[in-house]
Amino acid sequence: MTVPVTWQDVAALLPEFFLVVWASALLLLDVFWIREKRTTAWLSALGFVVALVLAVGQMGRAPLLAFRGMVIADAFSVFLVALFALSGLVGILLAQDYLARNGIERGEFYVLLMFSVVGMMLMARVADLVMIFLALELFSLPLYVMTGFARPRADSEEAALKYFLLGAFASGFMAFGIALVYGATSTTSLPHMVDVIQAGEADLALLTAGAALVLTGLGFKIATVPFHMWTPDVYHGAPSPVSGFMAATAKMAGFAALLRLFVLVFPVVADLTPVLWALAALSMVLGNVAAIAQRNIKRLLAYSSIAHAGYMLSAAVAFADPHLGPQAVAAILFYLVAYVLATFGAWGVVILLERRIGQEGLLLEDYAGLSRQYPGLAAAMAVFMLSFIGVPPTLGFFGKFYLFRVVLDAGFVGLALIGVLTSLVSAYYYLRVVMLMYMKPGEPIVRREPRVQATVLAAAALTLFLGLTAASSLYAWATEAILRFG
Amino acid sequence: MSGILEFVTHPLNAVTFFPLVGVVAILLLAREKETLIRWVALGTSLITFVISLGVLGLFNPQDPGLQLVYDRPWFTVAGWTIRYVMGVDGLSILLLLLTTLLTPIAILSTWTAIQERVKEFMIFFLLLEIGMVGVFLALDLFLFYIFWEFTLVPMYFLIGMWGGPRRMYAAIKFFLYTMAGSILMLLAIVWLGLHYGTFSVPDILAQGPVMGPVQYWLFLAFAAAFAIKVPMWPLHSWLPDAHVEAPTAGSVILAGVLLKMGTYGFLRFNMSLFPDAAKYYAPWVALLAVIGIVYGAIVSFPQRDVKKLVAYSSVSHLGFVMLGLFAFTPQGIEGAILQMINHGISTGALFLIVGMIYERRHTRDLDAFGGLWKVMPVYAVLSLITALSSMGLPGLNGFVGEFNILLGALGSRVLGSYWFAGFAALGVILAAVYMLTMYQKVFLGPLDKEENKCLQDLNWREVVTLLPLIVLMFWIGLYPKPFFALMHPAVEHLLQAVLK
Amino acid sequence: MLWQYVPIAIMLVLSMGLAALIVALGHLVGPSRPTHRKMIPYESGMVPIGPGMRRQPIRFYRIAMLFLLFDIEVVFLLPWAVVSRKLGLFGFIEALIFIAILLVGYLYAWKGGALEWE
Repeated sequence: MTVPVTWQDVAALLPEFFLVVWASALLLLDVFWIREKRTTAWLSALGFVVALVLAVGQMGRAPLLAFRGMVIADAFSVFLVALFALSGLVGILLAQDYLARNGIERGEFYVLLMFSVVGMMLMARVADLVMIFLALELFSLPLYVMTGFARPRADSEEAALKYFLLGAFASGFMAFGIALVYGATSTTSLPHMVDVIQAGEADLALLTAGAALVLTGLGFKIATVPFHMWTPDVYHGAPSPVSGFMAATAKMAGFAALLRLFVLVFPVVADLTPVLWALAALSMVLGNVAAIAQRNIKRLLAYSSIAHAGYMLSAAVAFADPHLGPQAVAAILFYLVAYVLATFGAWGVVILLERRIGQEGLLLEDYAGLSRQYPGLAAAMAVFMLSFIGVPPTLGFFGKFYLFRVVLDAGFVGLALIGVLTSLVSAYYYLRVVMLMYMKPGEPIVRREPRVQATVLAAAALTLFLGLTAASSLYAWATEAILRFG
Repeated sequence: MSGILEFVTHPLNAVTFFPLVGVVAILLLAREKETLIRWVALGTSLITFVISLGVLGLFNPQDPGLQLVYDRPWFTVAGWTIRYVMGVDGLSILLLLLTTLLTPIAILSTWTAIQERVKEFMIFFLLLEIGMVGVFLALDLFLFYIFWEFTLVPMYFLIGMWGGPRRMYAAIKFFLYTMAGSILMLLAIVWLGLHYGTFSVPDILAQGPVMGPVQYWLFLAFAAAFAIKVPMWPLHSWLPDAHVEAPTAGSVILAGVLLKMGTYGFLRFNMSLFPDAAKYYAPWVALLAVIGIVYGAIVSFPQRDVKKLVAYSSVSHLGFVMLGLFAFTPQGIEGAILQMINHGISTGALFLIVGMIYERRHTRDLDAFGGLWKVMPVYAVLSLITALSSMGLPGLNGFVGEFNILLGALGSRVLGSYWFAGFAALGVILAAVYMLTMYQKVFLGPLDKEENKCLQDLNWREVVTLLPLIVLMFWIGLYPKPFFALMHPAVEHLLQAVLK
Repeated sequence: MLWQYVPIAIMLVLSMGLAALIVALGHLVGPSRPTHRKMIPYESGMVPIGPGMRRQPIRFYRIAMLFLLFDIEVVFLLPWAVVSRKLGLFGFIEALIFIAILLVGYLYAWKGGALEWE
């Protein structure tokens, strides 16, 4: 019998392989030799840099199904894998000082982060239903642990337990959905499934039910209403770098699988369009309205992340249209980049202002007067808030522009109206942060942590200038990131 | 490199982005060097004004079309080429000059009024100038929208950081009101892009204006953005708050330029892109405009806060502009464009005058003054000229604009009724009532308040601030021909296309 | 299409029925003479000390968890062993990788102090 795995397969998953080996080695190094936990942090950051280089090296290659059709390396997945590697790097930059100063730094944190990122990367690579489930669990389980990392703080533990229980519940939906989809098409391989559906051999009722359940499972991960209940509590209870990391990357991972499944495999279940429509509309309305009432910045950002999931989902509503599918993917990827930049930046500011973990420096009032003493930091936060609102010339404006374009092109004028009107609502609470920073006197206390500060400023600069200078190349890149099988 | 050079040497790009030089320079200066920062800001805005005079020199008044067009593909997304189109014609050249003129004047007015965070103030002010100039020059809807929304941010900070006691409320109200309209416009812009495959206004018009029932919706979406900005009754309620709370320079720019962005939007986009809808809605727009004229004038009268009075008078004056525009006659539109300039000059000057007395007395309550003529003669004379100009006395600029608008509205076939002009004329009379009442309360009568007896008259800087505006008031009032000559071919051209 | 599952269904019904039958028969037919000694919990013939529901040291859970983890992982080796000859060298390397990952976990648990009792 020939060897069923070739070097080509390994090359297709090179960043993931590298990260797994690196993380395993780091796990042992950490317990056997490393004294300073900071060394572990730098080594894992180095790992992400290498993974990023490897991912960039994969660009421009022809789509490749690997490991007997379990995973695929196409432009879409490479785009996201590179983004995940970068996010992992940023995650460590944001976390290290915070963990050290709060006395909860353990080497396992960085290893867990790496394993989680591997799971997210695999979410972008899936070409088989079984892989979706595996990848989902692989990226979720470390996140549960990281959420509870501030133990024995009760809110952190509560958040971890809540996230774990509800996450397990969502996984159950996911598994059931996968089973139904398998029952409808008698295959788990996604490319094969496309053939079966095109040949008209699939049981459509069963497939629709299965797709709906898969949507439920993924909806939990990307935090859309009505699967959002955990989000504020978990983002609030988790250590801030973990919240920021989750807000940015878990959403990306969820959308990666959602787009691949719905745009590529499920256009036939167009019956679900109203469901997606409703999920998007509810998320935008509820996320934005609930955010108004928040006084804690972590909860505010949590609700805002729900709202942004709604914006992205509103473009995905057009999944059943074969012409708009690729554009929806490009628009969502573009929006994700804008969202991730602003999210990391905003959470970086939260980290710098959090005086005592989970207790002080988290209220909106604590931001009063920031612009006087830390003009750079306040300007950066203002840029993130404006990007979240979608004010030109920030990247967030271009993101919303492309999203609404797809939504209007698909003829969902109502959804587009809800989208713009809720952006208006969101302007109110985002501007309140800006207002406090610039227009109220206060004595904010900010940590001097150069790495976090540099990350925040870099994110702000990118948010501001990428829009004007590189919006088209970024969009072109996202457009080329078309989903394909073979 | 040559691309960049080609970009910046085009006069329209130069006039738009030159303030950026000042922004960078101020960013590099230490925050303690306040005087230097002020000089850099003033110098930058003056050079920008000189560049805009250069644009005027290159402008050919006989040409009805767009001139100095700079048209390049900017970037391409998924089959859409978004173009960077700048151009100027008779509709926008005067507004460009007004903007670049008012900015240095406003900066000069802050010389002693703004003592806190001068660095940030000047940065926001110059950024605001970029946005405003861009709005008047951009001819690609996408580009226009970017400039349009961008003006919001610096103005929000100007009101919120240097404003009065209720500044935060006013700032956020200003932001939310304006954004509410403009996001509807964004959807309409996206729709146009999907339909025409381009955002460039000349290209869209070359394909023919929007036809069919959808144009009525698109007209309303654009109108939502512009009507809030103008502001038309009943969407005006943000304006008094914003004006009262804004610092003097902010009020000058807000009244002088930002409101004109709304009327300019109607003129540039609503009329030419949706001609049938514009004609269909014209009587309704005129009705709201007339209500605004009378309402603004009546509400101005009992105000005790001078700034609030001037703010409501703006609602009234902008009503004239809207009436003139939607009369669809050459006289009406030309009068309206001139009235935009007039309002920028007179109301800008009024806010400067209010700011000068506020700096001395820290109150704007009408009852706190009286008899100022005796202690501040120069100030009183300049104020009298400005007040007369604002109420439309013949011989001064306000008269020329309002008279043309009324004539245009009377002869309008689109409006089809004399009543609009009749009620609008009532507004002229009311303007005289509230303006003269205000003047009387402040300057005439006995000098009976102890605090007013030792007020200093204007210093040379304040006179210099006001002088260019006073000169313009007389110039337009006595010899408006060169101003009309600049816009006449373009207005004829526009009307031909619209009334066809 | 579901006919192929009928034998499984019959098997299910039969086995459950048989179990129920035996328990029921024992209850019905067998004599029942309870004494105090017979009613106490069975602990390999010893007399139980203290109540049955009481707190256990957390160490037991840790050990139990580790046992479960490694036990289940090793179960995966059984199907591999069945077809290992067919998979040949490739299968062998795969199994090595699998065991190596387990080993990393084991070393981590060991060095991290999870196996220490005190």
